[in-house]
Amino acid sequence: MIIAILAPLLVACFIPLLSKIKHRVHTGFFVLLVPLSIFTYFVTFVGRDFSTQLQVTKWIPSLDINFSLYLDGLSLLFVLLITGIGSLVVLYSIYYLDRSERLDQFYVYLLMFMTAMLGVVLSDNIFVLYTFWELTSISSFLLIGYWHYKERSRYGALKSMLITVFGGLSMFGGFVLLYVVTGTTSIQDMIAHPEIVWNSAYLPLILAFILLGAFTKSAQFPFHIWLPDAMEAPTPVSAYLHSATMVKAGLFLIARFSPLLSASEWFYIVVTSVGVITLCWGSYMAVRQTDLKAILAFSTISQLGMIMAMFGFGTKIAIFAAVFHILNHATFKGSLFMIAGIIDHETGTRDIRKLGGLATIMPIAATLTVLGTFSMAGIPLPFLNGFYSKELFIDSALHLEGGMSTIASMLTAAIPYLVVFGSIFTFVYSMYFLFGIFTGKHKADQLPKPAHEAPFGMLLPPIILITGVVVIGLFPNLVNGTLLNHAQSAVGNTLYDVEKIKFWHGWDAPAFQVTLLIISVGIALYLTRKKWQHIYNALPGSFSFNRVYDALIKQLDRTSEKITNAYMTGSLRLYMTIIIAAIIVVTTTVMMVTDGFVVKFDNLADVSVLELVVAGVMVVAAVWTIFTNHKLAAILITGVVGYGVAILFILYRAPDLALTQLVIETVSVALFLLAFYHLPQLQKRDDSTGSKIVNATISIGFGALVAMIGIAAHSSSGFAPISDYFIKTSHTLGGGDNIVNVILVDMRGLDTLFEITVLGIAALAIYSLIKLRNDKEAE
Amino acid sequence: MSNLAVLPIIIPLLSGIIVAFFAKNVKVSRVLAALFTIINALVAVYLTSVVFTDGTVILETGDWVAPFGIVLVADPLAAVLVMTTNIIALASVFYAPFALTVKKEQHYFYAFYFFLISGVSGAFLTGDLFNLFVFFEVLLMASYALIVLGGEKVQLRESIKYVLINLFSSILFVTAIAFLYGVVGTVNMAQIAERVQEVEQTGILTTIGILLFFVFATKAALFPLFYWLPKSYIVPNPVVSALFGALLTKVGIYSILRVFSLIFVYKISLTHEIFIWIAALSMIFGVIGALSTNNVKLIIAYNIIPAIGFIMMGIGMFNEPALSGSIYYLIHDMLIKTALFFIVGAIVYVAGTSDLKKMGGLIHHYPVLGWLLFVSAFVLAGIPPFSGFIGKLLLLEGALENDKIIIVIIALLTSLLILYSIIKIFVNGFWGEQRHIEPTEKKPLAGFLVPVAFLLSFSILLGVGAEYIYPSIESISTYLLNPELYIDSVLKE
Amino acid sequence: MEIIISILAGILVATGVYNLLQKQLLRIVIGTVLLSHGAHLFILTMGKLKRGQPPILEEGIVQYTDPLPQALILTSIVISFGITSLLLVLAYRTANENETDNMEQLRGKTNE
Repeated sequence: MIIAILAPLLVACFIPLLSKIKHRVHTGFFVLLVPLSIFTYFVTFVGRDFSTQLQVTKWIPSLDINFSLYLDGLSLLFVLLITGIGSLVVLYSIYYLDRSERLDQFYVYLLMFMTAMLGVVLSDNIFVLYTFWELTSISSFLLIGYWHYKERSRYGALKSMLITVFGGLSMFGGFVLLYVVTGTTSIQDMIAHPEIVWNSAYLPLILAFILLGAFTKSAQFPFHIWLPDAMEAPTPVSAYLHSATMVKAGLFLIARFSPLLSASEWFYIVVTSVGVITLCWGSYMAVRQTDLKAILAFSTISQLGMIMAMFGFGTKIAIFAAVFHILNHATFKGSLFMIAGIIDHETGTRDIRKLGGLATIMPIAATLTVLGTFSMAGIPLPFLNGFYSKELFIDSALHLEGGMSTIASMLTAAIPYLVVFGSIFTFVYSMYFLFGIFTGKHKADQLPKPAHEAPFGMLLPPIILITGVVVIGLFPNLVNGTLLNHAQSAVGNTLYDVEKIKFWHGWDAPAFQVTLLIISVGIALYLTRKKWQHIYNALPGSFSFNRVYDALIKQLDRTSEKITNAYMTGSLRLYMTIIIAAIIVVTTTVMMVTDGFVVKFDNLADVSVLELVVAGVMVVAAVWTIFTNHKLAAILITGVVGYGVAILFILYRAPDLALTQLVIETVSVALFLLAFYHLPQLQKRDDSTGSKIVNATISIGFGALVAMIGIAAHSSSGFAPISDYFIKTSHTLGGGDNIVNVILVDMRGLDTLFEITVLGIAALAIYSLIKLRNDKEAE
Repeated sequence: MSNLAVLPIIIPLLSGIIVAFFAKNVKVSRVLAALFTIINALVAVYLTSVVFTDGTVILETGDWVAPFGIVLVADPLAAVLVMTTNIIALASVFYAPFALTVKKEQHYFYAFYFFLISGVSGAFLTGDLFNLFVFFEVLLMASYALIVLGGEKVQLRESIKYVLINLFSSILFVTAIAFLYGVVGTVNMAQIAERVQEVEQTGILTTIGILLFFVFATKAALFPLFYWLPKSYIVPNPVVSALFGALLTKVGIYSILRVFSLIFVYKISLTHEIFIWIAALSMIFGVIGALSTNNVKLIIAYNIIPAIGFIMMGIGMFNEPALSGSIYYLIHDMLIKTALFFIVGAIVYVAGTSDLKKMGGLIHHYPVLGWLLFVSAFVLAGIPPFSGFIGKLLLLEGALENDKIIIVIIALLTSLLILYSIIKIFVNGFWGEQRHIEPTEKKPLAGFLVPVAFLLSFSILLGVGAEYIYPSIESISTYLLNPELYIDSVLKE
Repeated sequence: MEIIISILAGILVATGVYNLLQKQLLRIVIGTVLLSHGAHLFILTMGKLKRGQPPILEEGIVQYTDPLPQALILTSIVISFGITSLLLVLAYRTANENETDNMEQLRGKTNE
C-alpha cells in the first residue's frame, strides 16, 4: 500500500522531464496511468468478504511515527473515489488544459495531492495523517493559485491555505492531546480502548480541536467561505479537490474518529447543528449565484453539510446514508463540475445570465446535466442514485431520538424542518442550474465564443460518472454489501443490515411524503423565482462571512502594525526604559516572593573615614554628571569617579587594579575629549517633568535593586571561595608570587587570551570604521 | 582530558588573525576563509562523534584542575550546537562573496566572521561563568564590527543602539556573576550548581538567577527585551544578518537553557512558570511584529522572536519531551533562519527593493529561489515532514503533559501566523505579474542558492530523517534533567 | 563597609542608568562608564574587603585579600575599555554622519 501512496509523488518527480515532449504527447496521458493503476489495484479488494488490512513501515519509531497503513471499508471507499475520480479528472484535463499551459507544474501539484489524499485516508498513525493532511492543503493552495497572474487566484489560494491550515493546526493540537492522553499514535489502538478517551477530562477539548480541523477542511459553516474562492482553480481541480475528494477529508476525519468522540453529547450537538446549518446556508446561497462554478461550490458546501449532519446523527441508518451519499455526491457533482467546465470551455463564459438555450447545441451535455441535477435534487426516479441516499437522509432525520440535554432535544425537534428547508433550496438551485443553461433563449451575441458540443474526450469523463449515477441508481445493491456496508461498519462499529436498498417503500412512507412536499414547494419556488429575487438579494444582503474574513485579515495587518509601531519607535530611551522596568518589576517580585533579601551585620569590614570621604566624593561626582550641562565638565567629573574607583582599589589592597584603572581612566578621558571635541555642546535638557520622574524612578529603582541584591548576596555567603586554592598554589604550581597575575596568565589564561582578542577586534573595528570613511571621502 | 575541546575555539581565532593579514587580497582571503571553515567544521564533526561515543570531553585549561582553572566542557549539548554553528558558518562563507562588496570583504569581514564563530563556540563550550562572559564579549565585539561594516548612515544609527543595549546587559552580566560569586564563592558552573543544590537555592540565589536570566534574555531577544533586535538585524548585509539571526540570539537562549537546567532548578514552580509566560508573550509580540511590515528583511528578523519563544516554552515546561523539543527547535531554527536570511538577501538583490509592495512575479525569472522560499515557509511554520515539526510536536507534547493548554493554543496560532507572514512574501513577491523596480534582465543567482539548498537539506534531514537524530537529542534532554551528570563529569569526585 | 560600598555601587548604577536614559550621546556614553564602575565595585565587594594583605605572596603572611575578584575586575576593565573606545568612535561617526547627537532624532522611520 505504501507504494500505492507514494507512487504519485515519485512519478511527479519525473514530470518535469516530460514537459520537453509535451507538444507531441500531452503530459496528462502519462499521468493518467498512475491513478488508473492504483484504482485497479484497490478495486480488487471490493467484495462481500473484504477484511481489513494493516501494513506498517517504520519511519520514526522512536517517536511512534510510522507509516502504518490501515485499509478498512471507509478508507477503501475513499481510495476508490480518489483514484477513480482522479483518473477521470486527469483524462478530462487533457482536453481542458492546452499544451501551452505549464502542464508539468499542474500535474506535479495534482500528483502531490493524490499522494497526500491517499495518505490521509490510509494512515492509521495520527501524525502521519496530519502530515498528509497539511500536504493536501499545500497542494490545494498551489492548484488554486495555478493561474497566479490573476488577483482572484492569489486571493483564493491564500484564503484556502489560511483557513485549512488553521484547521489543520487545530487538529494537530487535538492529535497531540490524544497522544498524551492515550499514549499511542495509532487510531485503531485508540478505538480499541475508547474508554481512555471517554473518561479523559480533555475529551471536550480534543473534540473541539478535531472538529475545527474537520469543519474547515470540509467547508462547513462559517468556514465555508474559502470554497467559492477556490473556484479560481482550473475546473478539473474544482471537480477533483473541491468537490469529490479533499473537501471530504473533513467528513472522513469525523467518520474515523466518531467511535472515540461521539461519546460526548457535544459531538451530536455541534456536528449535527453545524451540518444542518451548512446544508441550509449553502443551498440558499447557491440560488443567488450567477457563476456556474459558484452555484456548484455552494451546492457542494450544502451537500457536505448534509453528510456532516448525518455523521452527527450517528444512527446506523444515518451513517449508512452518509457513506452512500459520499459516493453518490462524487459521481453527480463531479460530472456537473466537468459540464460547467465544458460550458466555460466551449462558450467562453460561466455567467448563467449570458447562457441559455444550449440544449439543442450541446445535447449530450444537456442530457448528462438532466441526470446529474435530478440526482442531486433527489427526484424519485429509480435510476438516480441521489434519491436513495437523500431519502435515507430524510428518513434518518425524521427518526432521530432526542438527546439527554435540553439543547440536544431542542435540536432534535428542529432538525426535520431545517432539513426540509435545505432540501427545497437544493431542488431549486438544481433546476436553476439545469434550465438556466439549457433552456430559454440562446444569447449567442453575449457569448465570447460560438457555442458547440465539446470534443468526445472531454465528454467521456462526465459520461462515465453519469453512467455511475444511473448504474448505482438501477442496481444500488451492487455497492451495498460489497462496499458500503464495510464502510458503514468501520464508522459505526456495528453493521447496519440493509440487505437491500429499496426504491419503493409505499405511498405511506413518511420520507417519501416529505420528498413529495419538498419537490412541490421546490417547483413552486422555482417557477415563481422572479418574485423572490429581491428577497434573495436582500437576505442576507451585503453581509457575508467573506467580509468577516477580509476584515479579519485587514485588521490583523493593521492592528499588528499599530501595536508594533506603538513600541518599536526607534527610541533608545523607550527601549531602555521598558527593559529596565521589566527587570526591576520581575526581579523585585521574585526577591519578595522568595524572601531573598537578607542583611547580616556580622562579617563586615570596618569603616574608615578615608573610605567614606572617597565614597562621598564619588557620589557627588556621579550625581553631578546628571546635572552638568557642560561637555568638558561632564567628562572630567566622570574621570573623578574613575579615579575614585582607583583609590578604592588601593584602599582595598588591589594594587594591580589600581594601576590599571589609573592608566585606563586617563586614556579614556583623553579619548572622550578627542571624540566629543567636535560634537555639539551639551544642551539644557528640555524633558517634561513626567519623563524626568520616569527616568528618576527607573534609575533609583534599578540602583536600589542591585544594591539590595549585592548586600543580600554578601550577607548570604557561606562557602569558602575557590581562591584559597590559588593562594596556596600560586607559587608552587604557578611559579609567581603576584597571585592576581598568576591567575590572569595561568589559571584563567583563557580569559586573558580572549580579553586580548576583544581588544584586538575593537582595534580592527575602529580602524575599519575610520578607514572606510576615509575611503568614502576619497571617492 | 583532551585538547579537542578547545580546537573549535582556537582554530577560528587563529584563522581570523591569519585572514586579517590577507584582507586586501580578496581572492586569497576567500580561499583561506573557506579552507579554514571546512577544517573547523570537520573538527566539530569529529568532536561531536567523540562526545557521542565516549561521553563528555573535558579540557582543564592550563592543567589547572576544576573547579579552579577554566574548564571547557564539550558535553553532548555543546557539541551539537558547535556542529550546527559550523554548518551555518560553512554556508555563510560560501554565500559571503556573492552578498558582500569587495570593499566590505577587504575591511576584515572574514576576520570578524572568524572571531564571531570563535566567540560563539567558546560560549557553547565553556564550563565557567566568567569565561562565558568573556566569550560573550568576543562575539559581541565581533558583531559590533560586523553590524557597522560598510558605515552607512542607518547602520551607524542602529548599531549604536545595538551596542548600548548589549553593553548594558554585559555590565549586568558581570554584576550578576559578582553576586553569585559573593554567595557561592566560585565561578565554575559545575561547582556553582553543586553549591546551589547544597543550600537548596535560597531566595537570594533565585533572585540572582532571575537577574542572570534577564541578561541572557536580552541577548536572546525575549519579550520584553527584544526591541534592539529587528531593526539592527536588517541594516547590515544579509550574510551578517544571517549569522546574527542564527547564532547571537541562540547563544542567549542556550545560556538560559544551560543555567536553568544545571544551576537554578530547585524553584521551578516559580522561575520556570515565569518563563512560560515570557515565552507566550514573545510568540505573540514577535509574530505580530512579523505581520506588521512589508519589509521582507524585517519580516524574517521579527520571526526570530517567536522562535525563541518556542524554545523558551520548552525550557519552561522542563520535562523530557519539552526539553528535547527545545533543543530540536533550537537546531532547526539556527539552520532555517540562516536560510531565510540568505533567501531574503537574494530577493532584495534581484528585486532591487526590500518593500514587498513593490515586488511581484519574481517566479518567472527565479523559480528556484521561489520554491526554496516556499519550502522554507513550511519548514519555519513547523509543517511536517520538515525539521520544525518534530520540535513543535515535542514541545506541545511536553506542554500538554504539564496541562498547559493556553500556551499550546497560542503556539498553534503563532505557527499559523508565522506561515502567513512568510507565505505573504511568496504570494505577493513571487506570484503575479512581473513588476520589479529594476526591470533588468535575469541576474545569476546560483551562488546565493547553493548555500540555501545546503542548509535546507539539513532541515529536511532533521525532519524526514528524525529517526537518526532524535534519539541523540532525547539523550541530551535526559542528560540535562540530571545535572549530577554534568557536575560529576567536571568535578570528578 | 561592604554595605556602604554596595550602596555606593548602587548609586553609581542609578546615576549611570539616569544618564543612559538621556537623549544626548555623550551623556549616554558617560552613563555606561558609570555603570561599569558600579559593576566593578560590586565584584570587589563580593570578594570581601580588607580581609588581608594585597595578594602578593610574601614570607610570613597567611591572610590575603581574595585575588580572584581582582583578576576578574582586571579582565572586565580591559574589556570595558575596548568597548568604550569602540563606542566613542561609533558615537562620533554616528553623530557626524547623521548630523545630530540626539538619540531621539536617531529613531529612524518606521519599517523602512
